[in-house]
Amino acid sequence: MSESKKVSLPVLGEVDRRTAVKAGAATLGLAAWAAAIKPWFEWTAELNTDEFLQKHYRELSPEQLQAILNRLTDDARKETGKAVTVKDHKPLPGVSFAYALNLSICIGCRKCAEACHVENNHDRPSHQSYIRVFEMQKGGIDFEKGDATYSHPVPAKDKYYMPVQCQQCENPPCVTACPIEATWQESDGIVVVDYYWCIGCRYCEAACPYHARRFNWEKPQVPAAEVNPNQSYLSNRVRPQGVMEKCTFCLHRTREGRLPACLEACPTGARVFGNVLDPDSEIRWVLENKRVFVLKEELGTKPRFYYFFDK
Amino acid sequence: MHYAGVTTYYRFLRRSLHVATDGGWLFYAWMLVLTAVALVGANAWAVQVRDGMVRTNMTDHVSWGLYIANFTFCVGLAAGGVMMVIPAYLYHDHDMHEVVIVGEVLAIAAIVMSTLSVVVDLGRPDRFWHLIPVIGKFNWPVSMLTWDIIVLNGYLFINLHVVGYLLYTRFRGRTPDPRWYVPFVLLSIVWAISIHTVTAFLYCGLGGRPFWNTALLAPRFLASAFVSGPAFILLVLRVVRVGTDLPVNPGPSRLLVQIIRVAAVVNLLMLASELFTLFYAGGSHLASARYLFFGDHGKHGLVPWIWSAIALNLIGTGLFFTPAALERGWVRPVACACVIVGIWIEKGMGLIIPGFIPSTLHEVVEYAPSLTEWKVTAGIWAFGLLLLTAMLKVTVAVFTNQMAEPVEAAGPGPTTGS
Amino acid sequence: MSVAGVEVVRKPAGPPVVPTGTVDEKGRPVTIACATCHATKPANPDARVGRPLVMFHQGLGGQHGNLSCASCHNPADGYASLRLADGKGVPYTDVMTLCAQCHGPQYRDYQHGAHGGMTGHWDLTKGGRARNNCVDCHAPHAPKYPTVFPAFGPNDRFQTGGGHE
Repeated sequence: MSESKKVSLPVLGEVDRRTAVKAGAATLGLAAWAAAIKPWFEWTAELNTDEFLQKHYRELSPEQLQAILNRLTDDARKETGKAVTVKDHKPLPGVSFAYALNLSICIGCRKCAEACHVENNHDRPSHQSYIRVFEMQKGGIDFEKGDATYSHPVPAKDKYYMPVQCQQCENPPCVTACPIEATWQESDGIVVVDYYWCIGCRYCEAACPYHARRFNWEKPQVPAAEVNPNQSYLSNRVRPQGVMEKCTFCLHRTREGRLPACLEACPTGARVFGNVLDPDSEIRWVLENKRVFVLKEELGTKPRFYYFFDK
Repeated sequence: MHYAGVTTYYRFLRRSLHVATDGGWLFYAWMLVLTAVALVGANAWAVQVRDGMVRTNMTDHVSWGLYIANFTFCVGLAAGGVMMVIPAYLYHDHDMHEVVIVGEVLAIAAIVMSTLSVVVDLGRPDRFWHLIPVIGKFNWPVSMLTWDIIVLNGYLFINLHVVGYLLYTRFRGRTPDPRWYVPFVLLSIVWAISIHTVTAFLYCGLGGRPFWNTALLAPRFLASAFVSGPAFILLVLRVVRVGTDLPVNPGPSRLLVQIIRVAAVVNLLMLASELFTLFYAGGSHLASARYLFFGDHGKHGLVPWIWSAIALNLIGTGLFFTPAALERGWVRPVACACVIVGIWIEKGMGLIIPGFIPSTLHEVVEYAPSLTEWKVTAGIWAFGLLLLTAMLKVTVAVFTNQMAEPVEAAGPGPTTGS
Repeated sequence: MSVAGVEVVRKPAGPPVVPTGTVDEKGRPVTIACATCHATKPANPDARVGRPLVMFHQGLGGQHGNLSCASCHNPADGYASLRLADGKGVPYTDVMTLCAQCHGPQYRDYQHGAHGGMTGHWDLTKGGRARNNCVDCHAPHAPKYPTVFPAFGPNDRFQTGGGHE
């Protein structure tokens, strides 16, 4: 700019003044811009560089993963004052999970949804849960006549109840949708999310036909005293703001051989869970002996979550 | 005098910056207002990033809202510019050729706006780098979103190249070498179709959303883009003709009106065909359309929007068919405004939002954009118009040989205008 | 806690005892076995519910098909056991055998893990499992599962009502 000033001295009164005014305006503009985006820096101040640069879960070396688990454990302990452990549960070899639900004996008590809420460190104010229980009109399987917000003694006359959670599809539309492979299907059939890789575009949420995915619209609020200390990297650790989450069949339990929290909470035993590759398993017996069906079969998603009626 | 290429290019950029920021009081007022709105948008976005997307009114039921609606419209706007390119380059319409660069400039601004609309929709914009191929994890070719990223960026670069090349060679007083831009222009024609087709595939490829899951979506997107794009260009041409020294012949505008006449009718026909299929056959596919047009389960949030859109589209189309639309008068800009707003609603509040209402499990949770969303969207538009204005200023200056520095214009031997 | 490979089915308490409403010198409630009375007072074989009775059992309401008291309670040993349809006695702790006579499909489902709640492990090589028995959930005299008030429902933003009439 200074060069142009020198070169063009003769006419310069006007141009010089204009340049000065422009420079002033540009400075003011920059200052205003800095002020406008200040909240962004208030937010980034809370982030840490390791987390920002962290690689995709499946590309981490065992040492890197261990370091991350240690960091998460330390942070969670500091924050809650509880003996939290954040582990990484790998899929078990020779295991392929499936779930079945007996609609004839489900009474719609929502104990499963509540257990999920507690087990998976869900946001408290929104009553978040991976399970939504629909009160359905007998005479069809029509969600248009369903209602998830019922609040009266159950089971009500002429109604039946249909809990819906992630169907852990064999052909998951959410995984196809994700532009960055932040969600994928593991060898035991569980579809997981890397909470440190997800960018929060919510295309998976649009793609899911079962309303199974949830977004962290803000940082989940879980009082320290209520935090479930048995956590896993891909499942129930307290999620960051702005990322997707979903039912993981409680992989932090089921990959230790335990039953999912929703099943244990079910007072009627409507839920059956197990390894379909084991011919003696309860789930195999149900699939072979009950007339099971899946939701929205016509979409070709091949759910691992089955429903059946006894009578 | 001999200038090294770098020096000349630097001078081009410097002069462009000068020209783009110089004008009368109306220009300054316009730019000041746009800057102010853009800053309000930037602030609203920063607050949204800090506090979480809870600042928007989106929910797990309606997980995309105004941002993605606006994104869809802006992609159409960008694609619509091709309706100047086709007559200019494929049919060698001389008059259109003179002003075709306006369409290309608009495409650049529109692509920037659509990209920004996606960025503000991200829950974690800090992880944007995960989307970069090789260093991130780009789920191509499986995810339709990766296709969209490729086609949008490709279209941006093609247009940046064509516009940049044409302006720079004109600036240097040379005749553009067709080998350096005609192949790109032809590529941009195919590419323009692809950006809107792929954007439609984002939605219609989702089997769980019956309202979007229709093969007619991409053709509808294109038809409406060929209304809204040319309509926007007509407005820009009007501003350029009234506000600058660039000669604008009546021919191109008349041709654009003719294009709009055809595209608008095709668009309305496809809409009617879609509605017939939905309402006559009924069934679960109908749920969203019923909610959109008439309300459902006592909820009517989108009804005023869609009927406004239909009214505006019909009025706009009607006006375009009047003989007055071919003349320079008030009818044409009014018609343009009608169809632009009409299509903005039709593609956004009338298409993206009802895809989520009722939800995949038929829950009816309504959505209306929050103040934050309006601010951010207004900010994106302000920024886009700022960019468009600046680029048009440079374009007009180059095409009217006003890029020379004042002293050089008086002195001997400028490289321009020789 | 749970032992690998072991499935434990909770068992009901043994033969019921009847409270007399009095306490002994140590403050413990005095209860009597069924046979204490029934040795001298024969049961009404037609009784289906307790309400019409004049002494004891009046609180036993409910409904269990068309069964009478003696369908399940075994008079042969002074009601200290249950009675199967063929007249054989079965201890109270094995109540499921009795239930299974009529509720075959449920018993079959139960045996295959598809009826009745459980906690513990799906993989019995990793740990055990605890299961309810029939009368944990179904009161024997009124076996229909009771109506309950559901746990809290969703509290999503902007979701009003059920979205449905």
